Amino acid sequence: MAGNRTVEQIAAAILLVGLLGYWSAASSFGFELLAEIAVFAILAMSLDLIAGFTGMVSLGHAALFGTGAYLYALFAALWGWPAPLAMGAATVSTGVIALAVGAVVTRVHGVFFIMITLAVGEMGHEFFFKNRALGGDDGLAGIPRLDLSGLGIDLSDPARFALGLLLVMAAIYLLLDRMLLSPYGAALAGVRDNPKRMRALGLPVRAYQISIFAVSGTIAGFAGTLGAQHTMFISPQLLHWTTSGEILVMIILGGLGTLVGPVIGAVALVVLRHELSALTDYWGFWLGGFLILIVIGGKNGLIGWLEAAWRGAVRSRAGKVADAAR
Amino acid sequence: MPSDSAFWVVQILNSMQLAMLLFLLSVGLTVIFGLMNFVNLAHGSLYALGALSSYSIAKALGGMWPAYVLAPLIVTAVGAVLYLTIIDRLRAAGPMKQVLASFGLIFVLIDAQRYIWGTDQLGVSHAPFAGSVMVLGEPYPAYRLFIIAVGAVVFALLYVLLERTRLGAEVRASVDDAETASCVGVNVERTFFVVFLIGCALAGLAGAVALPAFSAEAGMGVAILVPTLAVVIVGGLGSLTGAFLGSILIATTLTFGQVLFPRFASILMYALLVVVLLARPSGLLPARSA
Amino acid sequence: MRPVRLSRVFTVAAALAAAAPLAAEEYRVGILLPFSGVYAGLGNHIENGFNLGLDHFAGTLGPDRIVTFKADTEANPATGLAKAKKMVLQDRADLLVGVVSSAVLGALRDFVHQSRTPLVVANAGNDDATGQNCSPSIVRVSFSNSQINRPMGAWMGRQGIKKVFLIAPDYAAGHQMMEAFRSGFIANGGEIVGEAYPPLEGTSDYGPFLAAAKSARPDAVYAFFAGAAAIAFVKQYHDFGVDREIPLHGAGFLTSAAYVQVQGEAAHGITASLHYFPDLDTPENKAFQAAYQAKYDGAVASEFAVQGYDAARLVIEAIRAAAGDKEKVKSELAKVRFTGPRGPLKIDPATHNIVQNIYVFRNEFKDGKIVQHILETIADVQDPPNGCVM
Repeated sequence: MAGNRTVEQIAAAILLVGLLGYWSAASSFGFELLAEIAVFAILAMSLDLIAGFTGMVSLGHAALFGTGAYLYALFAALWGWPAPLAMGAATVSTGVIALAVGAVVTRVHGVFFIMITLAVGEMGHEFFFKNRALGGDDGLAGIPRLDLSGLGIDLSDPARFALGLLLVMAAIYLLLDRMLLSPYGAALAGVRDNPKRMRALGLPVRAYQISIFAVSGTIAGFAGTLGAQHTMFISPQLLHWTTSGEILVMIILGGLGTLVGPVIGAVALVVLRHELSALTDYWGFWLGGFLILIVIGGKNGLIGWLEAAWRGAVRSRAGKVADAAR
Repeated sequence: MPSDSAFWVVQILNSMQLAMLLFLLSVGLTVIFGLMNFVNLAHGSLYALGALSSYSIAKALGGMWPAYVLAPLIVTAVGAVLYLTIIDRLRAAGPMKQVLASFGLIFVLIDAQRYIWGTDQLGVSHAPFAGSVMVLGEPYPAYRLFIIAVGAVVFALLYVLLERTRLGAEVRASVDDAETASCVGVNVERTFFVVFLIGCALAGLAGAVALPAFSAEAGMGVAILVPTLAVVIVGGLGSLTGAFLGSILIATTLTFGQVLFPRFASILMYALLVVVLLARPSGLLPARSA
Repeated sequence: MRPVRLSRVFTVAAALAAAAPLAAEEYRVGILLPFSGVYAGLGNHIENGFNLGLDHFAGTLGPDRIVTFKADTEANPATGLAKAKKMVLQDRADLLVGVVSSAVLGALRDFVHQSRTPLVVANAGNDDATGQNCSPSIVRVSFSNSQINRPMGAWMGRQGIKKVFLIAPDYAAGHQMMEAFRSGFIANGGEIVGEAYPPLEGTSDYGPFLAAAKSARPDAVYAFFAGAAAIAFVKQYHDFGVDREIPLHGAGFLTSAAYVQVQGEAAHGITASLHYFPDLDTPENKAFQAAYQAKYDGAVASEFAVQGYDAARLVIEAIRAAAGDKEKVKSELAKVRFTGPRGPLKIDPATHNIVQNIYVFRNEFKDGKIVQHILETIADVQDPPNGCVM
């Protein structure tokens, strides 16, 4: 089912305007929500690169997110490096780790890929759980935020921080959009849809898979450095496979294989979890049920419903025009 | 580290007992996986349902024996409902959608169980085969020997079912090549359904059998999920003997890993999984011809 | 004449206005507990105890009232922090009560400290929360890991037990508990002959660790487990016949009232130390258990329920002492002292950790039920500052 780029672009624009509008009217807790949404949106977009655009579904993606967060904490909080250096080093290191892991895990496909990423992710979780120098399962606090006071911006102010994250999210969206429109992006779609044919055309399929896994991992690590600065606390839970599952849920809710889908999904899941859990202790029942309905529904998440509605509207308009012309 | 033979025999018995529990859980999952290419992440929650139902049955009827029979039936009934409403619809949708739907199902089942049975741990204190027997001079719980016996009997019954009955032939044919099997007149859809129900029954039985040795609570299916998936992968998809051998391998890794490398035991299991996936992704004894 | 009478009216009116009571205050209390996930059981016990405490003591507030609302931390640090921020920033909570998991407490600590929101900790036992990470805003009414285990180590040493093997799950709390026991035990002439740390989320198969314990030939095994792991461990300790050779001792969570009846006969003979157990024979406790069981369908109140109950009382007494001044409530929290179901308790001003009795008791299986008999009361156990600077 091909997506509709127009619908996606319009949805992305409306969403960004909506989020910025909410920001301008938000209370102090609203800024916390926006920051959470922005971090997860970036993380979900990075997972969609491999899951939706290249057909490799990973249940270990949160481990790369958590690794970025832990490396940032190690560099900035424990070793006292300045934040920009720590962010850069953490992001690049996570990218290198993703490259190494990608070289190994891309040797299998389909459900086996899901299993191997789950296993590798859990190994990462175990490592940080048992590592007492980094806090173990009690976690690590006191993680500093980027200091932009030289530019006159105070990131310890939740409003400025949330706005900063939203702008970073928008920038990453635009960058990835550009990348996916390029020949590289087209090759990825080919790899997802029919790797045999791509190989027959002479494309190095594995090289593409490994490279996109590394790109996706780098962005996930970067999201980790942002997430660590938002909560100023990290724990091994960040790497657990259930966290990977949550990111996957966001993508499915919003729309797999699109860039705006993960963002929509991040907004939906963050808001739903807060609202539902305020209403009932059994919010998991409703959230799980909602997810099952979306998957059964056959459309590609919320963006899929929007696109179907658009097609329906266009078709009925064309029908009316044809009727009028008779 | 002690080197007396009694210690090692006890550890071997322990890994066999764990292996049998894993076998009961994984055999259903592996045939479903091999047959329908469907990874049911909610399989662990069916195990939890088996244990929780057993608790209620044992309390109401005063003993575990009715529970060993009735709990699998209850879980099978629930499984039938899930199959007809959700799983059947997703069969054509590909492994990812199935994984996601079953992920959502985990949450639904956990909360439903919490709603019915509450949040406290539940257990039974009077189980059959209480007490211990002496094994090479060391006391060993008799109930664990019961678990090993149940696993062995189930393996034998399933083996006969698979190799000597018509249903078994249909299952083997469908696992090997579903299209050709249906051309030859096998009702593949009905075979899938029956296999799924058997898998659910076995998960329920595993829960019932595990209850007296441990306890029951709503979230207990999540922790057992990863070792079960590991068995399915390592043993080989769709293969009964593969599930048996895979269970023994994983259980031995976990048990002896805890003895020899306590800090790294779980990492050892994940490492084994990665190695098998890389070296021999179809597993040790795959049922399907490559 | 009239102007004089008017001024007298004004004077009288002014005098009356000065003597009139202040307007009734509303105190918004946010209850932050796990209501889903693996710790949901503890969250429910604490909430039940807290609500019973409100029933019993909220009437003493006079015109003031307490409004409570709750949020689910899911025992997930990031979620716990988000919910805490929501309660303070959006729901205008004056006070937070709860927190089961020490990881969640770690995530909240800086936020609670910087926003100067009082947090009454109703469970999380990490020593550092009232040690090097202490804060004037955090008051703990539950226990610290050290408080439960250190006195037991001393007690066992005094009983003449010489060699002990330690077993606890491999996570921060498990290690902290064993370290505390070790310091108390060694200071009283004991020796640790071995230790084992099974994985926290494993297959609940303790066979190899029990075998290791047996081969070390200790005089006793000291263990900490909680929840389903405690049930599995105690059952296996009995099923493998280890209890016939080596008496099992432990932190009282091992045989917590929440599940000791599930353990049944397997728990017979276990000696444990805890800040509360339901069979404690005091008038306050008898009344508390009767009220709790009447309100909650015969469920026996566990140590978690008592923590919630005492948290409610602590909050209410602090509000009364502050007499309408919301700012003062925080400092009053640390000055409350009373005798409750677990005995006398007060807050240590240097660390804001609770100072309470620790009871050493023995589990006995009689007539189909486990009954707990007290062996010794260790009074007024107080943690050293541990690096706390207020």
